[in-house]
Amino acid sequence: MNLFDDSIEKLRSFLERKRAADSLHELIVSHKTWPAGERGNIVLASDTAVELGSPEQESVSFMVWTEKCGLIKNNRINLIGPDISEKKYSGMMRSLPFGKVVLLKLKGMDENNSYERHRQIDMARYDLNLKGYMMRAASQYMREWSRVSREAARSGFSFAHLAGALSAIYSRVEFVTGVEYIFVTSSTADVRSLASLGTTVEKRINAMNKMATELAFDCNSCDYTEICAAVEGLRSMQKNKSRLMS
Amino acid sequence: MSGKKTKAIISLCGKGGVGKTTVSALIVKALIEDPSKRVLAIDADPAVGLATALKINVKTTVDDIRNQFIELLEKGGAGDRDQVLGLLDYEMTGALHEKDNLAFLSIGRSETDGCYCQVNDLLKDIIGAIAENFDYLVIDAEAGVEQVNRRVLEKVTHLILISDLSTKGIKAAETIFSVAVKAVGFDKAGLIINRVRDQEEMKRITLPSNIAFLGSIPEDSVIRNADIEENNFLTIESTPAYEAVKRAMRALGVAGFNTTTLPGEGS
Ligand SMILES: Nc1ncnc2c1ncn2[C@@H]1O[C@H](COP(=O)(O)OP(=O)(O)O)[C@@H](O)[C@H]1O
Ligand SMILES: [Mg+2]
Repeated sequence: MNLFDDSIEKLRSFLERKRAADSLHELIVSHKTWPAGERGNIVLASDTAVELGSPEQESVSFMVWTEKCGLIKNNRINLIGPDISEKKYSGMMRSLPFGKVVLLKLKGMDENNSYERHRQIDMARYDLNLKGYMMRAASQYMREWSRVSREAARSGFSFAHLAGALSAIYSRVEFVTGVEYIFVTSSTADVRSLASLGTTVEKRINAMNKMATELAFDCNSCDYTEICAAVEGLRSMQKNKSRLMS
Repeated sequence: MSGKKTKAIISLCGKGGVGKTTVSALIVKALIEDPSKRVLAIDADPAVGLATALKINVKTTVDDIRNQFIELLEKGGAGDRDQVLGLLDYEMTGALHEKDNLAFLSIGRSETDGCYCQVNDLLKDIIGAIAENFDYLVIDAEAGVEQVNRRVLEKVTHLILISDLSTKGIKAAETIFSVAVKAVGFDKAGLIINRVRDQEEMKRITLPSNIAFLGSIPEDSVIRNADIEENNFLTIESTPAYEAVKRAMRALGVAGFNTTTLPGEGS
């Protein structure tokens, strides 16, 4: 099942535009491990070197997946804007807008498992436990806010480490076969462009969630009818659902 | 709930108007003078005042978060338990107002108390987790410590009762203390008498025999003027009331106060 292939195409052309403008850095996920911190720890503002996507800043974070080969470049990081360790570590905290997209190559997806699996990978980021890194996410609003401590920045913490730690978590999920990342820290405008692509993704996820969680549901009175009609995967979920209900 | 790091969770209770907010602010001031101490001040009095005393502009209270959240639940957009927890954690970290080594959290007024216990419990768990990141907590509480338990944190280590010279105030302190002894745990407790004009006045009152007396705080025009002008308590110079608060903290045996002289305090 492939719900997001057209969104992935759009993300690709976003990246191509950035490459043409010479503002795309392509990095490889680091497999060097970063020391673990204490679970649930807060990185306080006074200890923070870089803050990404705070509630005062533009922030977007979402996930897309496909089963198609060749759409996802495994272990690739696409960075637009400065990396974490490029920032100054002393003095005032730097606050940057933040965009993050995780692109996954999955296997064995179908109408019955896609909602639960989507949720499972979305929640996987809460298993991150990295010294000097704090992450707070509001998946309901597609926002993600993180802080990197001065000490971690001084020791060279970068997006390669972050992606490495995420990939280590995803690799334990048996239906994940590849992961690629997009990180945007360049500007509010760039994060907004990414967010506008996220809106389509969000609508599809919401439609998927609705079908999976609402027992008595009627396509005739649902706000997502158009979205479902446009996406093959959602259409088959819809059919499946009405079969179960009749 | 007193985490690995937290040395003291200090809660100030007493009748309205006796000086809970004033003394809370002065305790916060004394603690944050040492930049290595991380202090979380919590305004848990529905009457709200600590933010003003510390010149903090509160954007979001815990109660605002609860209300927004209940709305989201009712619309059905909150997600499952893990997603809910993630969102509450996000909002609560956002509600933390940080200023160097001081962080501030306002509980707000709650009108929807009682319903949505699960949300209340989750919020309390998150406050507990946040608290573990600090060396000291100072809670400007409403009258009783049982409200603190219900709305803020399960565990208070140091309970400070405040009263003025009035019999009503002292009686209220005794009642709060006896409820606290029976209903909630604490390690240490003591009574402060506030707004004493001269020591002769102290002779006219009877102190409760079962509560440790931590000392008196003089009526202080610097404090009164700071309040009239809505001044920042953190920037006032050394003044008799402030010195008395520091002595009371030592009498209570708050770690970090009982050792040598505090920074900024002459010997
Ligand atoms: N030691 C003091 N000297 C002078 N004024 C005081 C003193 N303590 C409190 N006050 C004044 O008493 C009033 C009530 O104090 P407050 O701390 O707000 O009480 P509570 O928080 O218990 O309601 C305030 O206007 C404050 O300025
Ligand atoms: Mg008060």
